[in-house]
Amino acid sequence: MRLTLLILLFWITPLHAADVATPIRFGLTAVVPIENLRFLDQWSRYLEEKIGRKVEFVQRKSYREVVDLLESGGIEFAWICGYPYIQTRDPESLQLLVVPIYRGSPRYHSYIIVHESSPYIRFSDLKGKSFAFSDPDSNSGFLYPLALIAKKGEKPENFFRQTFFTFNHAETVQAVAEQVADGGAVDSYIWEYIAVFQPHITEKTRIIKKSESFGFPPVVYRLGVDEHTVKQMKHTLENMDEDISGKGLLDKLKLDGFGYYSDSLFDEIRVLEHTVQRAVSNHTIVQTD
Amino acid sequence: MPILKTKSWPLAIKLSLTITAVVTSVGFLIGVLMVAQDWKRFQNDLGEKALLLSESISTTAPKAILRKDYWSLYLSLKNMASKGPGSRSEHEIIDAMILDSEGLVQAHLHPANHPIGLLFSPQNDVDKAIFKQAMAVRTPTVLSSDGFSKDGFQEGVVPLFSDQKYLGVVRVRLSVASLFEKTKSTAVIVLLSILLFVVIGSLLGTIVSRRVVGPLAAITQGLESVGRGEMSDFSPIPVKEGDEVGRLSVTFNQIMSELAEKKMLEEEVAMSEKLVALGRITAGVAHEVNNPLAGLLNCIDTLRQHPNDKALIDRYLPVIDQGLHRIKDIVHNLLVGLKIEESVEMITIEQVEKLHDLVLAEIGEREIEVIWNNTTDRDLFIPVKTEQIICNLLKNAVEILPQSGTVCFNMHQEGVHLVIEVIDNGPGVASNIRNQMFDPFFTTKPNGTGLGLWVVYRLVQSMQGVIEVKSELGKGTAFLIELPVIQRQAA
Repeated sequence: MRLTLLILLFWITPLHAADVATPIRFGLTAVVPIENLRFLDQWSRYLEEKIGRKVEFVQRKSYREVVDLLESGGIEFAWICGYPYIQTRDPESLQLLVVPIYRGSPRYHSYIIVHESSPYIRFSDLKGKSFAFSDPDSNSGFLYPLALIAKKGEKPENFFRQTFFTFNHAETVQAVAEQVADGGAVDSYIWEYIAVFQPHITEKTRIIKKSESFGFPPVVYRLGVDEHTVKQMKHTLENMDEDISGKGLLDKLKLDGFGYYSDSLFDEIRVLEHTVQRAVSNHTIVQTD
Repeated sequence: MPILKTKSWPLAIKLSLTITAVVTSVGFLIGVLMVAQDWKRFQNDLGEKALLLSESISTTAPKAILRKDYWSLYLSLKNMASKGPGSRSEHEIIDAMILDSEGLVQAHLHPANHPIGLLFSPQNDVDKAIFKQAMAVRTPTVLSSDGFSKDGFQEGVVPLFSDQKYLGVVRVRLSVASLFEKTKSTAVIVLLSILLFVVIGSLLGTIVSRRVVGPLAAITQGLESVGRGEMSDFSPIPVKEGDEVGRLSVTFNQIMSELAEKKMLEEEVAMSEKLVALGRITAGVAHEVNNPLAGLLNCIDTLRQHPNDKALIDRYLPVIDQGLHRIKDIVHNLLVGLKIEESVEMITIEQVEKLHDLVLAEIGEREIEVIWNNTTDRDLFIPVKTEQIICNLLKNAVEILPQSGTVCFNMHQEGVHLVIEVIDNGPGVASNIRNQMFDPFFTTKPNGTGLGLWVVYRLVQSMQGVIEVKSELGKGTAFLIELPVIQRQAA
């Protein structure tokens, strides 16, 4: 850790001399488990050093806000969920940059969790109970449980007694752990991440269903961002695992690295969306802002 | 249980106890009032706090309720309940909830027991009543539990409105437990202070009452020794202050020293009187013995000059005999009067009765009437000295009478006292010589020795009796004697 800091300090010095006129803006969503400013500072400094331009991380409450920012040109890059990524736009404005590699593959799951003391053992037990979704644009935290309900032939608006969005996977885990909700749907990567650093929270939850694997929430860029910057960013992220400080940052994220994968990685999510859309004409079952 | 007789307790203890009791009750009263007021103020402050917390939630809650954003409602309650670092809040949130207009839980600090979307279920009767009140509230209100209890609470209830439509209510309940502890510790401090006051008050009370009562106790002791006649035991009371007690002590010391002086003077007077009496006795003896002695010596001289004169011998021998008998009588009476011993010899009343005959014999040819009235029990025993007293008084009465008269003898019992009265209707005693009657060798009779009444006086004195004389010139004299001598059947 100290060594990393020393190296960072060494690298920071020539940065002031570099051109920092227009910063690169990088949007983050709740798919990133770290909201720690110090970590983000370290990461942005790392990227600045590699790219030679100032990098700013931009955080918003919901995926929608980040995607909106991306589409409107407010940011250049964003780490979003697979579900907003596969949603069709006209004209198409997002492009896949890289996909994080988690435990050897660019895939993750959705966990349906309940309180460890609760009697529920399968998803159908949660019927008529309260349920916490993460984000209305989350695959693991919203689309997947909707698809489960749709497959049962039930109407999502009637299946649960009460539902709410936490807009954050970590808070969904908290909502279930504190029994505000009887069940919740959460990103497996986030749940496992909390299980490492705050096991007392995840210990209060129990996974009753693990989904099939989905493409990991990808890093995307806005069409129109200059090719050089895109290449630089892609190269920097793909090679993070090859230097000590990059590896240190990846370790903190509990990721193996970033890699480029084809768009078909997200086909399972497309199937889910199709299932849900077929079941309900209006997929927004819960009013949000 | 003599210790319970508070009236006989020393003044010092009573005074200090009174002071202690007053200090204790005043302290206790003030303490109770203080604690009660503290408790009320704490409660009111806590109620205000609860209301403030509810109001802080109520600013954002209506929007979240409309959006069914249960999570942010819950987080707002949770953030409020979790004490931030460095916060010194003394309250403890025991309950906080947001209910909709139907009473359905929108958010609760304890979601496990109160799931969202279900009707709020009060845990007990008090909760039920408060729930009912809270649902009826349309302006911010503080609801609270009654009484002084650790489990009490203050609840801030703020109704929620959106466009004047009633949406529900925010309830934040604060525990009074920490205030209860605080009030309790205040009460303990007050109690300890009272105890301290009591100790200090008692000490002061003891000191003050000792200072006041100390001289009084010394005065009492002094008066007691005066009563016993032991003035020499008394040592002056030390005077420290110039107040009333100090002045009393000074006056008392003066009185005591004057009394002591007076007693000393009296003792000196008594001593000189004794010496005078001794001188009088000696002079009387010398005079009374010398008179017949001169006559006797003359007779003996004459007889020596005329040893064969039978007529002289016949004339002088009775004179010598009479003179010697007189000297013998004087010596006998002196011995009786001076050598009074603690005789324990007892006689019966019968022996007193014999004196009746003796008096009659003494009267001889004279026309003297003797009225004899003895009502004492015949089986009584009395000291032998009594007989001598009665005999002397009767002889005195008979001798004082001229050729005729009456002598009255009365004797009866009064409790332990034997009462003897000897009354004559003789010439009486002039008041100017009445206080000399019992002096030795004082006599008004031509042939008296002046020792009869002196002996009576000495005997009565030796038996702790009382002698009283009533006399009127030309009418007679009455002697009244009371002797505490009555015993039943001396064993």
